[in-house]
Amino acid sequence: MPVVRRNILTDAVARDDYVRGVGLLKQGNSPYTTTQLGIPGPAAPVRTYDLFVVWHGRTMMTPIPPGGNPQVRNAAHRGPIFLPWHRVMLGFLEQNLQRVLNKPGFALPYWDWSADGDLGSPTNAQIFTPAYLGGDGDPVSDGPFAFHAADPATFTVRIEAAGPGGMTLRQTSRGLRRAFAQPPPFGWLTLPTGAEVKDALAFTPPAGGNPVDRYDTLAFDASSEGFRDRLEGWIPKDPARPVHLHNQVHVWIGGDMGPSTSPNDPVFYLHHCNVDRIWEGWLNRYGRIYAPDMTAPAGTYKGERIDDPIASPLGASATPRSVLDVSAIYTYDVLP
Amino acid sequence: MDPTSNPTIDPTKLKAAAEPGAFGGYLAALPHPPMGHDHGPMKSVRTAEYQGHRISITTTYEITVDGKPLMAGLDVDDSGMLSCHGLPAYQFVSAVDAVRVLIHNYPDYFGGGG
Ligand SMILES: [Cu+2]
Repeated sequence: MPVVRRNILTDAVARDDYVRGVGLLKQGNSPYTTTQLGIPGPAAPVRTYDLFVVWHGRTMMTPIPPGGNPQVRNAAHRGPIFLPWHRVMLGFLEQNLQRVLNKPGFALPYWDWSADGDLGSPTNAQIFTPAYLGGDGDPVSDGPFAFHAADPATFTVRIEAAGPGGMTLRQTSRGLRRAFAQPPPFGWLTLPTGAEVKDALAFTPPAGGNPVDRYDTLAFDASSEGFRDRLEGWIPKDPARPVHLHNQVHVWIGGDMGPSTSPNDPVFYLHHCNVDRIWEGWLNRYGRIYAPDMTAPAGTYKGERIDDPIASPLGASATPRSVLDVSAIYTYDVLP
Repeated sequence: MDPTSNPTIDPTKLKAAAEPGAFGGYLAALPHPPMGHDHGPMKSVRTAEYQGHRISITTTYEITVDGKPLMAGLDVDDSGMLSCHGLPAYQFVSAVDAVRVLIHNYPDYFGGGG
């Protein structure tokens, strides 16, 4: 039975389950240590939640194609693989939450940030009140993810990006950081609006091309034309407006949502669940199509073509093609 | 890939692979990144064609902060916009801005300024 993912603001049960489940995944040790995962310092057990932080950070260092520059294109970002990779990641978190909650019907909720963008991007929006995710701060000081130094069970960031080079991870022990709506270039003052989501969904390539040009086009990177690059937030390239949609939400929240270890903030999953919902709306509207196909040369595009394995524990069985129709696993209450 | 077979991801396999033992095992088997240091300056190579001429522009940023080299991994794209590993959702118009924002986000890496 597929589960139904709902708006967190309309489903208090999903909200409470999410908060409780994240707490359980933060407390539970995985069978692996930092040393086994290649993180320097004394060997410490890695919490199950933090496996996701490591997975995201490592995938960002995995270049496409192999041997290429992960800053140009990596196995999870800056190319067409962005949407399939994060869909698999969310599926992994949802499975783990179902397991620790002992609730097979649990569905990851989403945060429709464009609704807050339409309200003027208030930093005290309902999602950031103590009953939901808490507000900003260094450390966050209210809500379920606040830092209380004297409480050993407090929400603690344990793995972070080691420095501005962004290529290595390190251990830490501190509270969560958020810094909403910093002025550019440090942050961004507004969240994306509903009209901007509609624009990305309505993007139509020039007539006479291939139907999949609507999704992504050569050179399948952070400059390529298409729905994916709009939703990821690299285009349109406008010096006055360098961030859009997905990227804009990371930059508006700031703090731990900035580095490659952004899954440290539980808002990451609610944000990406909304990104996935927008993609699902697009697939529903235009067909379950993807680009590039396997005629794209491996020497340049291996790792993001339709039948290439997604960088995940599922190995070769998970490909972009395998996640275009996930209706057997989950659906959304409302599609844009 | 046989287009007639159902390619969709199998929920049972997803459940098994998401179990912390299997999931952590995948991460442990990934090639470990080099410890304690980041990569050196990387080159951005932009190529284009104009009126039958082939253009190639190679850019390397050599940055120091307080006299110490900073391997910021800055990359410039065809539009002239910059991105960096340390803040992967950002896009910058100016390399100076990019380094300012890196200092702002990684204060303990840089220590106190003069
Ligand atoms: Cu990501």
